[in-house]
Amino acid sequence: MSWAWFHKLGSPKWFFSWSKSWALPLFCVGCVCLFVGLVWGLAFAPADYQQGNSFRIIYIHVPVAMLAQSCYLALGVAGFVFLVWQMKMAPVFIKSMAPVGAVMALIALVSGAIWGKPTWGTWWVWDARLTSVLVLFLLYMGIIALQNSLDDLVLVNKAAAVISVLGLINLPIIKYSVVLLETLHQGPTFTLTKKPEMPPEMWLPLLFSVIGLYCFVAGLVLWRMQTEILKREHRSNWVKQEVMEHGL
Amino acid sequence: MTYSSFIRSEFLVLWRRKQDIFNALLFFIIVVALFPIGINSSAEFLAPAAAGIVWCAVMLAILMAVEGMFKEDYWDGSLEQWIVSGLSLPLLILLKVIVQWLVVVAPLLVMMPLFSEMLYLPSLSFWVLIMTLLLGSPSLFFIGAVGAALTMSIKQGAVLVMLLILPFYLPVIIFSTLAVKAAEAGLPYSGLLAMLLAMSLLSLVISPLMTAIAVKASVN
Amino acid sequence: MAFNNFSEFLIMGAHGIYVWSAYGFSAFALAWLVWNTLATRRKTRNSLRKRLLRNQNR
Repeated sequence: MSWAWFHKLGSPKWFFSWSKSWALPLFCVGCVCLFVGLVWGLAFAPADYQQGNSFRIIYIHVPVAMLAQSCYLALGVAGFVFLVWQMKMAPVFIKSMAPVGAVMALIALVSGAIWGKPTWGTWWVWDARLTSVLVLFLLYMGIIALQNSLDDLVLVNKAAAVISVLGLINLPIIKYSVVLLETLHQGPTFTLTKKPEMPPEMWLPLLFSVIGLYCFVAGLVLWRMQTEILKREHRSNWVKQEVMEHGL
Repeated sequence: MTYSSFIRSEFLVLWRRKQDIFNALLFFIIVVALFPIGINSSAEFLAPAAAGIVWCAVMLAILMAVEGMFKEDYWDGSLEQWIVSGLSLPLLILLKVIVQWLVVVAPLLVMMPLFSEMLYLPSLSFWVLIMTLLLGSPSLFFIGAVGAALTMSIKQGAVLVMLLILPFYLPVIIFSTLAVKAAEAGLPYSGLLAMLLAMSLLSLVISPLMTAIAVKASVN
Repeated sequence: MAFNNFSEFLIMGAHGIYVWSAYGFSAFALAWLVWNTLATRRKTRNSLRKRLLRNQNR
C-alpha cells in the first residue's frame, strides 16, 4: 500500500485544493440525506408503541450523540498524529473540529433532556450516558478555552494536541466509571455486530439521518479547515494567488 | 545540576513558598466546612456524604496547589536550565510532581482523623477513605501537572486549569466514593482500589511525557 | 404516512411540544454552526484580500 496520500495530507496547499472540490458536494449530500431522514422519521415512520410520538426525537438525538463521540475520537487521533509525526494539518483539524463537536454534544444534551421529560418524567437524570455526554461537552469547551487563551501558535498546536490525546485516553475510563453509577438510558440503537431490534421502517430513516449528519459535518469541517489554512499560511504565495483569483 | 540537587532545591523552594501550601490546606478546610453549614449539619446527612465531601474538597485543594506549579520556574528561567542541563526532562518533572505530592498530601492525611470526626464518618470506612486518598491522589497530581504546564505562560490561568482538568478527575472521585460506599455496605471494594492504583500508574507513565512536550513548547 | 392530517402531525399525540422544541433547538444550533463557518470564511478571505491590495498599491 502506498503512503503517498498520508504525506500529501501534510501539505496545506495540496489539502486546500483537494478540500475545495469536496466540501460543497459533501455538505449538499449531507443536507439532502439529513432532510430525507428527518422528514421520513417525523412524518412517515410509525409511532413507537410505548413512547408514542415522542420517540421521533431519536432521529436527531442519536445522530448528534454519535457525532459528538466520533468527533472526539477524531480529535484524539489527530492529536496523536501531530505529536508523533508533526503533521501540519493535524492542529488545523483540531482547531476546526472542536467547536463543531461542542455544538454536537450540546444538541445531544438538550434534545436528550427534552426527550427525557415525557419518557422518564424528568429533564435530567444522573445516568451514565447523560453524564458522559456532559463530560464530553466540558472536554470540548476546555480545548476551545485553552486555544483561545494561548497566543503563541506553536504552543496552541502542542497544547491542543496534548489535551486531545489525554482526553482520548481518559474517555473510556470516564465511560466505565459512570456506568458504575446507575443507568436508566435505553441501550444503543445501532451496534455494528447485532441486527437492530427496531423494525426497518423505523431504523432506515435513522440510518439516513446518521449518514447525512456525518457528511454535513465533514463538509463544514473542510470549510473551517480552509479558513484556518488561509489564516495560518497568509504569507505564502499560493495563498495570495488563491485569494486574489477567487475572492469568493 | 544533578537529580539529587534538583530534589533538594525543589524541597527548598516549597519550604520558602510554604504559605501557598498552607493556603491550599486552609482552602480544603473551608470547602469541607461549607457542606454542613450550607446544606445540613445533621449526622444523618453528613455520615453517608462524608467521603464525597472530603473528596470534592481534596480535588479542589490539590488543583489549587498544583495549578501554579511551573509558573515560577517559567518566569525565572529555571525551565530553560532544566532543558539544557542534559538530564531527562520527563524524569525531572516526575520528581517534581512526587515532591509536590509528598508535601501536600502528608498534611492532608494528618488532618483526616479530625475531619472524619467533624463529618461523622463511620469509623469502619475511615481506613478505606485513607486508602483511596493514598492510591487516588497521585493521579490527581500527575493529571494536574499537565494542565499546569499547558497554562503556565498565561498570567491568570487558575480558572482555565479548573475547566481543563476537572473533567479528567471525575473517574477518580467516582471510584473513591464508590469504594467507601461499598465498604460501608459490607461489599468487596478491592477492585475499586485496584482501579485507583491503575489510574495512578497510568498517569505516572503518560503525564511526565505529555508535560515535557508542553514545557518544551512553552519555553521556545 | 403516520398521521391523518397536518394538525395531527403538529400535535403528535400530545408530545408535539417536546418533539418540536427538540427539533427547533437542533435546527437553530446547526444553522448557527453553518452561519458561523461561512461568515468566518468570507471574513478571512476579504481581510486577506484587502491587505494584499493595500500592499500592492503602496
